[in-house]
Amino acid sequence: MDIDEDNNQNLRGTTRGISTPVILVDNNHPFDIEAYSSSYTGRTAVDRLVYIINICPQLAVPALQLAVQHIFKTRDVDLYRNIAGAYDVMAVNAQLPPAAEVAPLDQVWYDEWTSKNLAEKTRLEVELKTYTSNMIKESIRMAHRDLGQFYLSVGDYTGALKHFTKIRESCTTSQHVVDMCIAILELLILQGNYSHISTYVFKADTALDAASNAASASTTPVIPGTGPAKKSQERAKWQTKLDFASALAHLGQGNYEKAANLFLKLGPVKELGEWVGKLIAPGDIGIAGTLCALASLSRSAIKSQLLENESFSIYIEYEPYVRELVEAYMASKFSTVLDLLERYSARHLVDIHFGQHIKNLTDLIKSRALVLYFQPFSSIKLERMATAFGWTVQQVEEQVVSLIQAGEIRGRVDSQNKILKAKEADARSELFARALRSGKEMQAANRKLLLRMRLQQADLIVKAPKNRGEGTAPRQTEYFNE
Amino acid sequence: MAAPSLDVVVVEITNANNYSQLSHSLRTFAPNDIRDTILAGPLTNGQDPLTVLDIAQHTVGVLYILSARFRTKVNLPTLVYLETFCQNFDVPQAIVASEHVVYLARNLQDIAESTDSPKQPLTCLLHLVSRFPPTPSHLTPIHPIFIAGCVTTGHFEVALSVLQIPITEIDNLLGDLHYNDNLVYHYAGGMAFAALKKWEEAEEFFEICVSSPAQVPAAIQLEAYKKLTLVQLISRGTTAAVPKYTNNSLVRLLKTSPYGSFAKAYPQQTGTLRKIVESDGALFANDGNTGLINQALERAPRRLIKRLTSTYLTLSLAEIGKNVRISDVEEVRALVLKMIEQDEICATISADDTVTFSDPPAQFSKTEIDQVLAEAQNQAALFAVLNRDVGKSKEFLTKATKNKDEWGGPPEEEIYAGGNVGAWMEEA
Repeated sequence: MDIDEDNNQNLRGTTRGISTPVILVDNNHPFDIEAYSSSYTGRTAVDRLVYIINICPQLAVPALQLAVQHIFKTRDVDLYRNIAGAYDVMAVNAQLPPAAEVAPLDQVWYDEWTSKNLAEKTRLEVELKTYTSNMIKESIRMAHRDLGQFYLSVGDYTGALKHFTKIRESCTTSQHVVDMCIAILELLILQGNYSHISTYVFKADTALDAASNAASASTTPVIPGTGPAKKSQERAKWQTKLDFASALAHLGQGNYEKAANLFLKLGPVKELGEWVGKLIAPGDIGIAGTLCALASLSRSAIKSQLLENESFSIYIEYEPYVRELVEAYMASKFSTVLDLLERYSARHLVDIHFGQHIKNLTDLIKSRALVLYFQPFSSIKLERMATAFGWTVQQVEEQVVSLIQAGEIRGRVDSQNKILKAKEADARSELFARALRSGKEMQAANRKLLLRMRLQQADLIVKAPKNRGEGTAPRQTEYFNE
Repeated sequence: MAAPSLDVVVVEITNANNYSQLSHSLRTFAPNDIRDTILAGPLTNGQDPLTVLDIAQHTVGVLYILSARFRTKVNLPTLVYLETFCQNFDVPQAIVASEHVVYLARNLQDIAESTDSPKQPLTCLLHLVSRFPPTPSHLTPIHPIFIAGCVTTGHFEVALSVLQIPITEIDNLLGDLHYNDNLVYHYAGGMAFAALKKWEEAEEFFEICVSSPAQVPAAIQLEAYKKLTLVQLISRGTTAAVPKYTNNSLVRLLKTSPYGSFAKAYPQQTGTLRKIVESDGALFANDGNTGLINQALERAPRRLIKRLTSTYLTLSLAEIGKNVRISDVEEVRALVLKMIEQDEICATISADDTVTFSDPPAQFSKTEIDQVLAEAQNQAALFAVLNRDVGKSKEFLTKATKNKDEWGGPPEEEIYAGGNVGAWMEEA
């Protein structure tokens, strides 16, 4: 199939493991773990809490307790041991009580579900076998789906993926393909496997097209006009989910601008259906979308796509400070922006999907803010910029210099007097210089192409030598010593 | 049949008026082995046939005799005679015997490389190169011989007058051209320019060599690419991409070589650069590129300072030193002063060691602009002619008519309507 299953197993573990920042939570960086975990259900809640255990020793104890509460609601009997193991590794270093004391294993639950799982698995596999031998396509599909769901619920991603991808062979309608894609996307998002998401979004998209074409073809005699409307309704049901998945994929791969555009396009919360809570909280979408937008979109785009976007503002309502953030940015109160980013850094960093990107995003937002701030000035004291951003002059100079070198700011630093001056562009002479230069380049290119054409016409083409040596350079001697 | 004596041959030469016929008979009048001996020998009365024959009138005959003498290595002509020949030979006749002209050029190159005073044979070659082709922009097999001769003997200036005119024409009538001729000419030309520190021209020549059409890359092309990379680093501080039509494997080969890593680290990572030069010094020396590498290294701080000018207005010498990793302020001052003198940067140094950078004043004179415009117009005219030539060439028309069905464009009349109608009328 399309996915290299072995690699995916540890994907979350490895990518997350590289640079796990240690997060501080205090009065200046508030973070309410209970409120946070209550927005999620099922597996993602456990995953998120485990992530917190790993990166934030301070919160490891409550995180473990909450995680165990969630675990006992699931049927994944191995999960407890895995988490307790992860916690214990942490606990040794941070001198915390061992897992067994904080949240002991519920043996009754363990035994009950171990046997239930086994029974269920046997039942489903027998079903699948029967259906396969009877060759009833629809039943085979459903059996694979049920098995996939089952493996997912006991935390066997590989097994789940295997069955989900097998659904494909017994799909009879486009609707089935869409269902399959959605199930796989859910799995991929849980795994944090961003690189494969786009494949399935694309497949689902094609299937949706086929489905709506088939629908409109069969209903052509019906009153014209209802067709497209119905079609778009059909699509809208899935579109939000697909958009969300690809937004996450772009975010995961660092394409912040594409991610921002997709996040801002999302439909109302209810269209995400059961994914809310199961995969993500609406507040997360608000934060991720806003941060990506601030880091990559222009001011006018932010205004039209974010501030004036009614459906996205619903997502923002879940985390009221996000609106404050955007408004401060739009009002050019950059030190407020930076304060807010800093204050909520804990909330941002613990997120399982965009936590890794917060540093990049913050840096991007900072440099954008600097560029925006300098725009109206022809010269400005670095000191003044420093006060506006709450940095030291040294910091400002470093940032500004790197921005100039990256071509973001058209200006130069007067390092002695600590002044940033905009470049005075002499449009006329610049134009002349450019015209002369491109004329020269063009002539050189023409000349070379002409020679090349002639060479080809005369068949003077380097060919593989038949039996003698290739072109030898004239005797090599050293001429370039000064 | 007994072979005719040289006297008979000389008479035939003096009486001939159809040169290709003469050339043919000179090639076939006697069996291979004795033909050269006859041609290289003296006349029966002991006279030197070259004194009897007039260079301008009997160019074909003289060429055959010269070739025979070079081959048999007897009666070798004097350089003075060769120079007179090169100045006075008759071009149409020489074209008939072009392979002998090339042979003569080879021998002149050998002479140049084996004597202490290569000036004279090189001048002979220069005459040959400038007189033989119909226009200076034609490539002939003599070109690479001449330039290679100049490069191996170290007389780069001699080559300049030829190199300054870019090659745009290829004509196989001027002797059998091999793809190597083109490659060697541009490679050696690039070396000559690089040795004279004319970086821009060197770049162009190496680039032409690298990007010449190739099914498989030639070794000389890779050598040229290595030099191109270094020349670019010296003249602009970064490498520029080679044209898209360059053979892909060349690009790959270079990227993975020490040259690739050298270019990547240039100019900031001084430490890495030195390390590369240390570990791969033998390879650079083996390629004959140590000189270029050293020049590139030497210019790295200048590149960095130049880059600073676009970021800073003022900077103290100490800070510049920190940026280019030279700890001695005096050394930095000397470097900055040298750069100001050589017009590389526009800056002033004040008493408190602060360097103030300013923008170089833009200078465009009206005459300069006019000249550039005229050049552009010339080019446009040239391309119009070329376009028309291609349009009426047989190959193009066969292809165009063959693909007409798939093409699906408008009928031909419409395409060629308008400005080009005149051209078609003339054809008819």
